Amino acid sequence: MSRISTASTIAIAAFMMMPVAAHAEGSLAIFNWGDYISEEMVKKFEAKYDVKVTVDTYDSNETMLAKLKSGITGYDLAVPGDYMVEILIKEGLIEKVEPNTFENYKNLEPQWADVYWDQGRHYSVPWVWGTTSFTVSTKVYKGDVDTLGVMFNPPDELKGRINLLRDVNDVINAALRYLGLPRCNENPDDLKKVQALLTELKPSVKSFAYESKELAESGEVDLAQIWNGKAYLARKGRADLQYSYPKEGYTGWMDNLVVIKGAPNLENAKLFMNFLMDPENAAMMTNFTGYANGVLGSEKFVDPDLAKAHEYRPPEGAPKPEFVKVCNEKVIKLYDRLWTNFLK
Amino acid sequence: MALLARKEPRSLISFRGFGTVTGLCLFILYVPMLVLVVFSFNANRAVTVWGGFSLQWYAKAAYNGGLQNAAWNSLVVAVIATTVATAIATAAALATGRGQRFRGSQAFYMLVNLPLMLPEIIIAVGTLSFFALLGMKLSLLTIIIAHTVFCIPFAYLPIRSRLETMDARLEEAASDLYASPLDAYRHVTMPLLMPGIISGAMLAFVVSLDDFIITAMVAGAGSGTLPVYVYTQLKQGVTPEINAISTVLLAVSIVLVAASYFVAKAGSKHVRPATEQP
Repeated sequence: MSRISTASTIAIAAFMMMPVAAHAEGSLAIFNWGDYISEEMVKKFEAKYDVKVTVDTYDSNETMLAKLKSGITGYDLAVPGDYMVEILIKEGLIEKVEPNTFENYKNLEPQWADVYWDQGRHYSVPWVWGTTSFTVSTKVYKGDVDTLGVMFNPPDELKGRINLLRDVNDVINAALRYLGLPRCNENPDDLKKVQALLTELKPSVKSFAYESKELAESGEVDLAQIWNGKAYLARKGRADLQYSYPKEGYTGWMDNLVVIKGAPNLENAKLFMNFLMDPENAAMMTNFTGYANGVLGSEKFVDPDLAKAHEYRPPEGAPKPEFVKVCNEKVIKLYDRLWTNFLK
Repeated sequence: MALLARKEPRSLISFRGFGTVTGLCLFILYVPMLVLVVFSFNANRAVTVWGGFSLQWYAKAAYNGGLQNAAWNSLVVAVIATTVATAIATAAALATGRGQRFRGSQAFYMLVNLPLMLPEIIIAVGTLSFFALLGMKLSLLTIIIAHTVFCIPFAYLPIRSRLETMDARLEEAASDLYASPLDAYRHVTMPLLMPGIISGAMLAFVVSLDDFIITAMVAGAGSGTLPVYVYTQLKQGVTPEINAISTVLLAVSIVLVAASYFVAKAGSKHVRPATEQP
């Protein structure tokens, strides 16, 4: 590289940095899912600490993992799903910042302190959490919605009116629950039963897609496997939809805020983590995403319509959501084969 | 035998079913875009249910801070990458088209165009590993470098093909008339080549503006571009805001492609193909 081009490269680089440095004392770079952060909360943080926040987005846990592994991203914070936190810790990609010593840690709902992906919260704090079940039109189907039987043994009025999430684990875990079989299952007899169940279900399924909300809301389907926050939004557009808490069980998930190894703005990242566990700030996240946070006392700041919604939190008497770990390689392969056959 | 005896080859348009096939192809190609544009004016929140005409999604898009930042990044990257790539491509085209043939010039031609033939995901992962190896922090600069590399063949091809239709004897004539190599280049080669350079630059600009896979891999803190922003929003639910942004992108692309076509066409009037020379 000649001296001139080196100089111009540096000049360009310096030009790029300038707008960031000019405004605020510090900066903070967040790597997050698309459309998954309250701008109101970000503005409040920026004003309070005089820190310029940038948000970049990814579309899957795996994309995020691939980029973090390069070790040169320059991000401070990321928002991995539960199982991904476990992987990031194992791979040594996140900082052990001990959020359990932070001032606002006292606000954490006790049930989220000893989670399988981060026992005692040495690395992460809750972002928001939700459940994966299904929503069904009570105009079309009049019976009890709180059972997986509606989905796996659909009555005639629902046949051909079903959308399943295009996700191997969400579908197979629901099938295993319906059959009363253990998760991360490699028993050939059990998997044959799952295969038989899915084969029988296949003709009744209209589509496999992530657009459950759009499909259910527009009346393209009358039963859709869906996340609770989306089910809430779908019901706003179509009042006869009811979210199910099946008696056989259903999946729970939580996204978590973590600090990336070698974060350039470590102190600001910690500040943000603590800031998120303030009830008022956590409520901003809930109001924006439609999902519950893990912070005590935030309920009074949550939009009342959302707070009392059936979808928002599992009601009394419903089984507890099940947080499913990643299965071993052998199970993943077996599931993938089953899934490919099902989609064929 | 009657067919073979014809002097003029049969025009493609006169084949039966030509109109139907053409219509079908155009329909499949353009209806999705038309639907996308129409629903960007939807008053309804759902992308599939029509609820009347509205410009609210354009207004929303215009007030979205993350979106504006992404759009600005896209523009900065496209302008710089296009400028650098076009300069390199012009030099490469002149070296391969006008310079003396050198050993491996065919290999060089293939090498320049390789990014066109490799699957993008391979380039993306390779580029990321390369930056990681150098220990270079991901930023706008890394995106610009990556874009410059894959924009070069897009800029190179129109410039090279323009150069091939230009009569080399014009430059020789300039030299005969005592023009220095630099003057011949400035007053003869460059003006004749300009339409090729401009259409190459516009093509590179559009390709840079639209790229997702490579950009998603090499973007760093605060440097996500518009396509990355749009794609990562999809999973959280599609609103017509996405349609509005996409429509704007589409309009920019169409204007640039059309402009590059007209510039190239206007320019070609001034050059007589070598075969017509007496």
